Amino acid sequence: MDPNAARTARESLDLAFRMSNVLDTGLDRHTLSVLIALCDLGLNPEALAAVVKELRRELQTSFSPPSSTAQSSLS
Amino acid sequence: MEEEDQQKVSDLIKELVLRLLSQNPTSDSHPIDPNSTDFRNSLRYAFRILSSRMTPSVAPDAAAIGESIKRRLATQGKSSEALTLADLCTKFASKTGPGSVNNKWAVLYFLKIIAEDRKSARTQLDSSVLLPNLAFKDADSGHDLRVSRSLGSKEKGWRNGVLLVSKDPENRREIAFREFVNLVKEENEVCEEVLVRDVLYACQGIDGKYVKFDKNADGYVIPDLVKVPRATRIIVRKLCELGWLFRKVKGYISECMDRFPAEDVGTVGQAFCAALQDELSEYYKLLAVLEAQSMNPIPLVSEKVSSENYLSLRRLSVWFAEPMVKMRLMAVLVDKCRVLRGGAMAGAIHLHAQHGDPLVHEFMKRLLRRVCSPLFEMVRSWVLEGELEDIFSEFFVVGQPVKAESLWRDGYMLHAGMLPSFISQSLAQRILRTGKSINFLRVCCEDHGWADAATEAAAAAGTTTRRGSLGYGETEALESLVDGAAKRIDKHLLDVMYKRYKFKEHCLAIKRYLLLGQGDFVQYLMDIVGPELSEPANTISTFKLAGLLETAIRSSNAQYDDPDILDRLRVKMMPHGAGDRGWDVFSLEYDARVPLDTVFTESVMARYLKIFNFLWKLRRVEHALIGAWKTLKPNCITSHSFTKLHHAVKLQLLSSLRRCQVLWDDMNHFVTNLQYYIMFEVLEVSWSNFSSEMEVAKDLDDLLAAHEKYLHSIVEKSLLGERSQTLCKSLFVLFDLILRFRSHADRLYEGIYELQARTMESSLPSRDKRKSQKQLSDKVSEPGSWIGDGRKALTQRAGELFRNMGQDLDAIAKEYSSLLEGFLSQLPVQQHVDLKFLLFRLDFTEFYSRSSPSL
Repeated sequence: MDPNAARTARESLDLAFRMSNVLDTGLDRHTLSVLIALCDLGLNPEALAAVVKELRRELQTSFSPPSSTAQSSLS
Repeated sequence: MEEEDQQKVSDLIKELVLRLLSQNPTSDSHPIDPNSTDFRNSLRYAFRILSSRMTPSVAPDAAAIGESIKRRLATQGKSSEALTLADLCTKFASKTGPGSVNNKWAVLYFLKIIAEDRKSARTQLDSSVLLPNLAFKDADSGHDLRVSRSLGSKEKGWRNGVLLVSKDPENRREIAFREFVNLVKEENEVCEEVLVRDVLYACQGIDGKYVKFDKNADGYVIPDLVKVPRATRIIVRKLCELGWLFRKVKGYISECMDRFPAEDVGTVGQAFCAALQDELSEYYKLLAVLEAQSMNPIPLVSEKVSSENYLSLRRLSVWFAEPMVKMRLMAVLVDKCRVLRGGAMAGAIHLHAQHGDPLVHEFMKRLLRRVCSPLFEMVRSWVLEGELEDIFSEFFVVGQPVKAESLWRDGYMLHAGMLPSFISQSLAQRILRTGKSINFLRVCCEDHGWADAATEAAAAAGTTTRRGSLGYGETEALESLVDGAAKRIDKHLLDVMYKRYKFKEHCLAIKRYLLLGQGDFVQYLMDIVGPELSEPANTISTFKLAGLLETAIRSSNAQYDDPDILDRLRVKMMPHGAGDRGWDVFSLEYDARVPLDTVFTESVMARYLKIFNFLWKLRRVEHALIGAWKTLKPNCITSHSFTKLHHAVKLQLLSSLRRCQVLWDDMNHFVTNLQYYIMFEVLEVSWSNFSSEMEVAKDLDDLLAAHEKYLHSIVEKSLLGERSQTLCKSLFVLFDLILRFRSHADRLYEGIYELQARTMESSLPSRDKRKSQKQLSDKVSEPGSWIGDGRKALTQRAGELFRNMGQDLDAIAKEYSSLLEGFLSQLPVQQHVDLKFLLFRLDFTEFYSRSSPSL
């Protein structure tokens, strides 16, 4: 890979990560890089955001009360 | 390639899910098994979410989204973070080239949604206690994203309500709100955000996703298939009136632009289009701002509340209030002006400017300034340069190619249809005249001094001669400019007419020669052309008469006149029929060259000719009467030479002579008084009026009017007008009779002279033979005597002559008195007051009124 391009990519990611921190999204660097890659592939950012949100919620619900409403509604 | 991408996507998603699930702080003790059911479920769920919505609901605009995030932060009071973010955004956006992120907007948008979600998750407790509509909106905002999970989230919200509003024991209020929200959600297929965007599109004449142009309804509506509440439907329809109006205005502009090179839209039409276009670009600006705003939240005081996007349909209706008024106005104007052009268009727009609403007034004024600028430009160049820059015939002054002599009268005229109503009729007249004066000076007078006058006028009016210095609404400026220009140019024109072209001198010359004001000249002319004119008309040579005219000029005081004036004086023979005498066709003509022929047009000259003919006839009659007097004058010869005549014959002679004298006197009285009246009460009075009017005349029109008045008064007072035709006819019969009398009188005197000559012949011998006669008194009756025979024959002849003459004179006298009586009885009936004075003069001694009771 072109070192120039690599640097740009790194810088871009860096900037995005800083923005993410400012906005307090709670995403780590690696997750963000995956998401950016998905965005670049043309996925709908709304849908991506929904995925992130839902999965987080799932985690929370699966840990605090052991209910499985989400899963039951899914299946 | 596709498959590769797909593979990449699924790999990445797998990775993402893994990362997200492993993020749990509690789960880092046991790593997630990629093959566990939990993980599979999550992965399947993630794929389903991703495949559910393929298109984003916002426009891909990185800058706008960045701005929106920044604002959200700013409204939450985190201004330092907002600044940092703005900085980062610009840096992020500036990264281009290989290796950089392509879908920058997607990344930003994604970050924004995540941040909002986290925020709302944290503040959900607070938002649910707020007003129901906000709660509704909150729930609604996530509607698109959480479709599949809405049930769960709602339950949570409800739970929160239970916790908080413990004062409401039954929780009825909360339950009612929730039910209402559910109801609304069921009814609404489309969220308001989307509708707002659609309305914004529709207002630019573009079909939105839901709001589309319906040809049947003739407007933008939400199709019936889309489920929205009635109120929303109505408000959308109302808001989209703007779009309908916009389409109309836009359509007109593009139609005009298309038409422009081929057909003549006209400069005013073009200006109108340009002004509309400008207004539309203002409107575009507003729409752009609204569109940008539509993504931003409402700035609220409380930062805990996550607020809905700034624009709702209701807010839009407030925003659209002003543009709606303007757009309606434009649409009305477009309708009005579709068939109009030029000044008529400006006038029609002006009518709409008479409005009490300051907004409308201001708007119309701005529009009119643009629309009228070509018109005012035309006025300016017309008034100051005399140029008719009007290729589309929009100006209210129309020019037509004419000969130089009729340039003033027919060259330019007002086109009433093109006269906008904000220019008054009198101002339009002044504008017309000023430009006309310039053109007249340029074409007819070959004068260049007007340019100085125009520059001076422009300087005085405060506007320079540069273009575009006048505008709509500055009627006073226009008026002062026109007045200034008119005053100076008219003055200049009159100066040129008086000084260079000697208008006054020419008028005087016409009065002197054509109206026979120069007595000695007329007398001479009458004397020398008289014999010539007694010939039949077709045997008279014009050249000979011209020579005679020349002689008359040289032998009278006229010789000291300006040679230029004398040059213009010509003999003119009128068209003649068989049996016409020279007297009937002879006339004088005055050659008025350019530019004076504007005043002395052909019709004016024809009237002068008419007056000349009348005056010439009057002069001729007077001349004839004077000639008769020369012979009629009682002298010794006539009174003494007939002493030897027979007594009866002598008596006859005396009586016919006397009758002749009386008749002559009668006629002379009439002619002299008529002559006096014409000369002093008609010509001189009219002339003095004309002179004083000439002094005060401010422009050529005044001058023309004064001259017209002068000529008219002469014609009317000299009985040549339409109304006094019968009077004029009887006057001419009288003239003919007088001329006949002259020839009779001449014949009488010829007879008398012949008699006298014979008597002299016979008296020479008779004086010698007086004695012998007496001596031979018994021989007198001797037949065959030469003398006796001669005397007898002489007496007989004289008797015959006198008898004939007496009869003729009787007939003439009778005819004359009856004609005169008829003439006098007609005089008081005339309208003109001056003719009363003529009657008064003629009947000064009341001789006629006493002899005829009808007077």
